[in-house]
Amino acid sequence: MKKKLTGLLRIAVAGVLTFGMLTGCGSDTGTTTSDEGTKTEAAADAGAETEDTAEAGKTVKIGVLVADVSGEEALGFRSYYENYIAENYNVEFAYTDALASAEDEKAAIEKFAAQGYEAIISLSSADRAMQIETCEALGVYYAIASGVLDESQYETYKGYEYFVGQVGPSNQTEFEAGQEMGAYFKEQGIKKVALYGAFIPNPMHVYRTAGVIAGLGDTYGGASDMDAIAGQIFGDQGVDLAKVAGDVEIAAYLQGYGDTTTDELNAAIQKAPEAFLSVGMATTFFAQSLNEAGIAFSDIDSFTEMNGAAIKEGKLTYLAGKYSSSIGPVFALVMNAVNGNVIRDAEGNAVSFSQGYLVATDGETFDQYYVSDNGDSPIYNKATLDGMIGDDITYDFVKSLIESE
Amino acid sequence: MGTNKKTKAGVKKYKTQQMIITVLPFVALVGLFFLFCGVVQSKGYRLDMYLKIIFNEGVVLAIVATGAIFIYTLGTFDISLGAATLFAATLGVTVYNSTESFGLMVLTIFGCGVVCALFNSVLASVFHIPAFVTTVAMMSVLSAVAGQIITTKGGALGGISIPSEIVKPYDTPVFKIVILVIFFAISFFVFQLTKVGRRQKFIGGNPVCAKLTGIRYNKYAIIAFAMAGLGVGLGALLTLIYTPSVTTTTASSIGMNIFIAIVFGGMPISGGARSKIYAALVGGFSYMLLNDVLELLIDNSAAYGLTQVISAVFFLLVVYITGMNYRSTLLPR
Repeated sequence: MKKKLTGLLRIAVAGVLTFGMLTGCGSDTGTTTSDEGTKTEAAADAGAETEDTAEAGKTVKIGVLVADVSGEEALGFRSYYENYIAENYNVEFAYTDALASAEDEKAAIEKFAAQGYEAIISLSSADRAMQIETCEALGVYYAIASGVLDESQYETYKGYEYFVGQVGPSNQTEFEAGQEMGAYFKEQGIKKVALYGAFIPNPMHVYRTAGVIAGLGDTYGGASDMDAIAGQIFGDQGVDLAKVAGDVEIAAYLQGYGDTTTDELNAAIQKAPEAFLSVGMATTFFAQSLNEAGIAFSDIDSFTEMNGAAIKEGKLTYLAGKYSSSIGPVFALVMNAVNGNVIRDAEGNAVSFSQGYLVATDGETFDQYYVSDNGDSPIYNKATLDGMIGDDITYDFVKSLIESE
Repeated sequence: MGTNKKTKAGVKKYKTQQMIITVLPFVALVGLFFLFCGVVQSKGYRLDMYLKIIFNEGVVLAIVATGAIFIYTLGTFDISLGAATLFAATLGVTVYNSTESFGLMVLTIFGCGVVCALFNSVLASVFHIPAFVTTVAMMSVLSAVAGQIITTKGGALGGISIPSEIVKPYDTPVFKIVILVIFFAISFFVFQLTKVGRRQKFIGGNPVCAKLTGIRYNKYAIIAFAMAGLGVGLGALLTLIYTPSVTTTTASSIGMNIFIAIVFGGMPISGGARSKIYAALVGGFSYMLLNDVLELLIDNSAAYGLTQVISAVFFLLVVYITGMNYRSTLLPR
């Protein structure tokens, strides 16, 4: 009896504590806990902050969602925001840890909102639809800086009040980047390659890989067009070499990065490919081994110091890359939105701009892009961005500027 | 006479230690709760929103881990619960997208959770394959099958989803509290007020004695895995309610977090007589509070590594304290 009573007492304490936590959800600030209530209040906070920003020059707080925290491209982007933008504008960036799932993304957005952040820039893509809906419910501006929504998703969300827009390579652009890379090596007379699919089923890597296969002039499961190849790769969760047919042989395929990758890479090298084609992060993972083996390699990544060393001193012979300041226009769009000028396209929808890749095949071309986008003088420098930030900036003006770069 | 005095002193010391160990998780939860509130307030952040975030982070873990306690009590464990949650959610979404029936989706999720758990229990109890082996294998199989479905059906979206408006009405603290309370009440009833819980503790404490007493391991293992399966089903449903999409990484952290939650709640991983049904509830929320306090206190750029280190130290400390009375010469009472 006594034991049962003690047990019940423990449960009661646990219940009271849990109840206390939960009732705290609604009672602490005397506001409603409903989404609508949260949205109104967060939006009102943001509105007040906006006025403050304009009048007193208060710091604008922007949260950045990231899935990759260590890649060359991710580090370049981060450096541009934290070291260049934050020094030239009254803005504060906060980065998440590496977000692994849609639940992590949603919790991160909610935490940014709870901390009074006025906008979110997303470099994480576990569930973009959920990200937009969460930001809309919380009244926080949202923009996509890497990858883009697929067409049906964009149609669904383009009219959302807090969805600022997206600037980045579309799936078509990703496919074309891979295709050009494949075609480049085919034109060089290469007959046997190894292929690295990076982090398939990440859509960006799937489309690049599909492009490489098409660019080499090969077919995959009998298909040669973008959607058919990409669809099969999604289904296979990788590249099934038995399905590849064509003049250029793909002798080895590997993807991901983990315990077995080194063995897989060594096995691929043993097959003596004439080139190692990668759709992402080859320099980070494989440069040393490929340099030692004397195998030329290619990558779709970004113009960073490490890639520079690989192309000048190593065996990197083809780099399709973004430059670090390519995420500048997204920042400008977000700043405009926070300052009250939410830029819309001609139909009144969130903007969508596609950015392409720059290609370097030697140190000289690399320097042309890297040096001009580095340090204190990025391609999207303060002067350029100032031209994109303001109360009278229009969609057409921003479009022309982005497309001219 | 002297021996009697020694024994009495030993019993008194043991009882004091046991009381401390029983109360400590609650004290830690209360302490972390107030610390968390203090930190959030001092930084000028929205406490109401943060409490909601903590609850959403903790509720799925608390429910799945509460179900898992039945398995851990037997002195075994199931590392595939996170993968089973992913698999159940994946099938649920697939069924909804095929039938547009919310009821069928819920049934599928629960059915899947229970079937996965029972499959493990059959392998463990009927075929006598160690749970460590079967659940590690199941974790790989379930993740791979779910991943195949997600990538095949999700394509360029990277995941599969149901329309958010289907689950939005349920994404409220009240609904989740009701689910949590009901599941906890059922678990409490089975664990504390029926012979099932007592016998499971007996099996966990000394399987040979339990067998000689006539207790059938298989029966109680099946009940334990079935309860865990219910927890998995509820966890998958609440995960979908929070984010109506499933990616290959959904619920990926649950498997390991169950261990941590149970230990933070003051229950030994070895199970047996010291098992406590409330451990997952208390430990799950304590762990989330600790994580968020550290995240708030430590600068963002360095937070991840330091949070992990401090959590690990805290974990070892809790294991040491809760293990104090294992070293006693007295049997648990």
